[in-house]
Amino acid sequence: MSCAIEVNDLTKFYGRPETGVLAVDHISFEVRRGEIFGFLGPNGAGKSTTQRMLTTLLEPTEGHIVINGHNLAHDAYPVKRQMGLVPEESNVYAELTAWDNLMFTAKLYRMPRSERTDRAQALLETFGLWEKRKVKVANFSKGMRRRLSIAMAIIHKPSLLFLDEPTPGLDAQSARTIQNLVRQLNAEGTTIFLTTHQIEEANQLCDRVAIINHGQIAAIDTPEQLKRTFRRVQSVEVSMEPHGQPLPDIQAELPEATSIVRQGDKWRLYTKDPALLLPQVMEYAHSHKLRVVSLSTLGPSLEDVFLEITGRQIGTVHHQTPATVSQQQNAKQTVAADET
Amino acid sequence: MKPDRWLPRLQDELAQAWAVAVKDVKVYYLQPGMIMFGFMMPFFMFFSFSVRREMAAELGVARLLALTTFFTAAAAGPFIIPLERRLGTYDRLLAAPMSLLTLLLGKAAVGAFFAIVVSAIALVIGVAVLGVAIARPWLLAVGILLGSFSFSTLGLIFGSIPTRNPGDVQMPSTLLRWGLLFISGVFIPLPEMIPAARIVAYLSPLTYAQDLMNHAVPGVGLLNPWLDIGVLLLTGILFLLPSLKMHRRSRKLGY
Ligand SMILES: Nc1ncnc2c1ncn2[C@@H]1O[C@H](COP(=O)(O)OP(=O)(O)OP(=O)(O)O)[C@@H](O)[C@H]1O
Ligand SMILES: [Mg+2]
Repeated sequence: MSCAIEVNDLTKFYGRPETGVLAVDHISFEVRRGEIFGFLGPNGAGKSTTQRMLTTLLEPTEGHIVINGHNLAHDAYPVKRQMGLVPEESNVYAELTAWDNLMFTAKLYRMPRSERTDRAQALLETFGLWEKRKVKVANFSKGMRRRLSIAMAIIHKPSLLFLDEPTPGLDAQSARTIQNLVRQLNAEGTTIFLTTHQIEEANQLCDRVAIINHGQIAAIDTPEQLKRTFRRVQSVEVSMEPHGQPLPDIQAELPEATSIVRQGDKWRLYTKDPALLLPQVMEYAHSHKLRVVSLSTLGPSLEDVFLEITGRQIGTVHHQTPATVSQQQNAKQTVAADET
Repeated sequence: MKPDRWLPRLQDELAQAWAVAVKDVKVYYLQPGMIMFGFMMPFFMFFSFSVRREMAAELGVARLLALTTFFTAAAAGPFIIPLERRLGTYDRLLAAPMSLLTLLLGKAAVGAFFAIVVSAIALVIGVAVLGVAIARPWLLAVGILLGSFSFSTLGLIFGSIPTRNPGDVQMPSTLLRWGLLFISGVFIPLPEMIPAARIVAYLSPLTYAQDLMNHAVPGVGLLNPWLDIGVLLLTGILFLLPSLKMHRRSRKLGY
């Protein structure tokens, strides 16, 4: 029994048959004991829905979940004792102090008194909250609340910890603190199921990553393997003046570009190797008497990676939201770090 | 199962229900919604419908106690559970290793606890200020306990409606509470009702709580006090069933 989690054909359909949403669509995967398993996908991919099913909060429409050898559908009690849960929103009691929040959770898990006070003190110290233990959580910052909610999730020493997007909305320092805590917990033997929409975070933390979109898993692999895919869908974004001109023969003159998409006054050129594409772009601009006003290399967005993996035509996404831009920037750093 | 298997589990579940109740009391006693609908409401109702009439102080206290158990106990569930769902703290309770029944009993205990405290305050006012003598103190204690329990589990039914918005629940639960209040023998004593109204009154658990208070404080009720006790106990347990069912439904809907 080496698997912490085995999932088979897991499906969740919300609402009525005609109008409902198929949030999770027959997914199957395994999480090995002792690994950090990343669940990577864009907004609305079905990550939280999956995590809520794995943590007994939501009843699947179809499929089986076996955790530590127990089928969740009819044997959830022993599983509940062994798992810790950090949800998307820090669900701490604002009216209670940090200490009382921890004590309450410890009592829910029936920890003996001396053990729970020792453990709470140790956790508050590790999480940098010991000085604030008597402060009502209503006065805590977002990062402090998040740390407290993680402390509450692990006070009973779960063998399996679920984290739903633990770092968005935190500053870089707080995010790093939490990532280090996750690593440390894992080093101490906790299996970790980490939901995220940041490629960077998945790369840095996870042993294996599942990529999910529209309720389906596109790939499960090590970050190293996935990065090869990521690299195939890098892109160069270029803006040339005068704007709005048709660019004749652009596809033919830029052989390194695998796909070309117009986005507003910019062009997005997908490529496997930006280093080869960049001179071609400059050459093209020169020969057509265009002025390059901006040029940047971007890592892949999750959407791009997903399309690449599922073998669909890339570049079908024509609009960009600020969220995807920041993901791309994250990804760019990753790729850069990888290259050095 | 052998006792050495289920006994520790039972102890665990009781301790967990207790932990939930104590936590809720700490978290919610100062919340405006709870103070308004739970603690002030029975007094408002009492003074707006009773004070003008000529009435013996004993009857007045019996009525006030029925109102405090009823309103305070029934206010907790519909306020606390949707709020916890919205803040996500309910997931913490649902994911904990305890049964749904344990969770609901913990939640029922919160409403009952608030109702007992508010009733105790009303009782102290009645005895100390109005000089009311209690005919049967034991019956009074049992009445307050059982009434609080039964009306608290009644409130849980509304709290269990699958929603994250306390506002969605407030409306139906207030309607039901007011409805019950006016069909029960609280403002019009049972013997003075026309027979059709009395039949309707017998459908409401509040009627039996009021009758029990009448036995306990002035010492004259219409029904057999054992019947009152039996009905309150039974409804208190039966009211848990729809809550269990709706909680299971929430788990399908994703609330
Ligand atoms: N309780 C619900 N009822 C109906 N639809 C829901 C419910 N919860 C989620 N959904 C829908 O299911 C889909 C998947 O949602 P989910 O929250 O699992 O996505 P996610 O991957 O966690 O996204 P995010 O990154 O935004 O957290 C979305 O289309 C969402 O609107
Ligand atoms: Mg989510």
